[in-house]
Amino acid sequence: MKKSFAYPVLYMIIITITFITVLASFNYFTIDRIVFNEENDLRHKILYVFDILPEGEDPQEIEEIFNERVIEKQFDDNPGYALMEGNDEVSYAIRFEGSGLWGSIIGYLGLNDDFTQIIGIEFITQSETPGLGGRISEEPYKEQYRDIELDTTEGKYLVSTPDGNVDAIAGATSTSVAVVNILNENLVDFFESAEVD
Amino acid sequence: MPTKLEVKKVFNKGIYTENPVLIQVVGICSALAVTNRMMNSLIMGIALTFVTAFTSLTVSTLKSHTPKHIRMMIQVLIISSYVIIVDIFLKAYMPEMSAALGPYVGLIITNCIIMGRAEGFALSNAPTISFLDGIGVGVGYTIVLMAISLVRELFGFGTIFNIAIMPEGFTSWTFMVMPPSAFFILACITWFANNQIIKKNKEGVEKK
Repeated sequence: MKKSFAYPVLYMIIITITFITVLASFNYFTIDRIVFNEENDLRHKILYVFDILPEGEDPQEIEEIFNERVIEKQFDDNPGYALMEGNDEVSYAIRFEGSGLWGSIIGYLGLNDDFTQIIGIEFITQSETPGLGGRISEEPYKEQYRDIELDTTEGKYLVSTPDGNVDAIAGATSTSVAVVNILNENLVDFFESAEVD
Repeated sequence: MPTKLEVKKVFNKGIYTENPVLIQVVGICSALAVTNRMMNSLIMGIALTFVTAFTSLTVSTLKSHTPKHIRMMIQVLIISSYVIIVDIFLKAYMPEMSAALGPYVGLIITNCIIMGRAEGFALSNAPTISFLDGIGVGVGYTIVLMAISLVRELFGFGTIFNIAIMPEGFTSWTFMVMPPSAFFILACITWFANNQIIKKNKEGVEKK
């Protein structure tokens, strides 16, 4: 093996440049697709909240519907989305955030036009135990959040008691309680700060 | 070109007699982490096989030019490049799988199997046979992962490759979904495999 000082340095530089070139070009050719995938993921979730996902869930179709019917809307400082029917806003998706059992839970909650009903829910980020708390991202749990009347007669919007409006997940009590608490807190904050009735 | 016998030996070693997970006990972190679904295990196995095979190929090709004292730097550079390629590929073409595997794709870089093969085999063998050795070891790793996830998915979710197998009303074993179950299953498989190999070795001795 060569004993010079310059050789290893030069060798390392050449190898590094070669591999970086390969990676950079690979990245360059796939970046559009990756960005599209990420955006599509969010669009898919927002449409799910509004319950207007097209059948087959084709990414192109999702993009079309999203661009046509959904607009971004700020509620005070809360980012959110509004669903349009012609020129009228028919429902809203508001962002919620809080701590679950293992990490933050972030998602969107759908509300109808006069904020009296919850119309849907979707989670953007959650790191709950897969197969247990992680099941909050599965259909049966999320479908419970369709058409829930919002009233505070029991002191809270959402309750997981036997006569409540949302069932908890068996074996994932901490996560279920956390989700309901996060939503209740976020709804209270939302109604206070956004000043809507 | 490697002879048929050499190829057979390399695969036999990678999959059976020197299985990376069961016999060498390397790379078990990911074997425990991504085995709750068979699909995850399969993709993880393919990703690792790809990285190991191409790393061995590249290391072996470059070995006569690489100064000895910087070879580890070169190896890590090569390994991480291939891992990044896999990561980008999954994000672009299999976004759901990328989300399911999460950080574990990136962590292939630290998988001991790859550097172990590069140091232990590729540095002293020709490129083609090193490439095949990488595939053999990768397949060995994949088989063990699939075996663990078969048990975990079947009892944890009642499904195999997301197809319902268990009858309706089957109570899924929560424990199987959680990481600790992988420790028990891996230990049982290792126990079984080691027993088999010891038995075989004994038979071999007696025959002589």
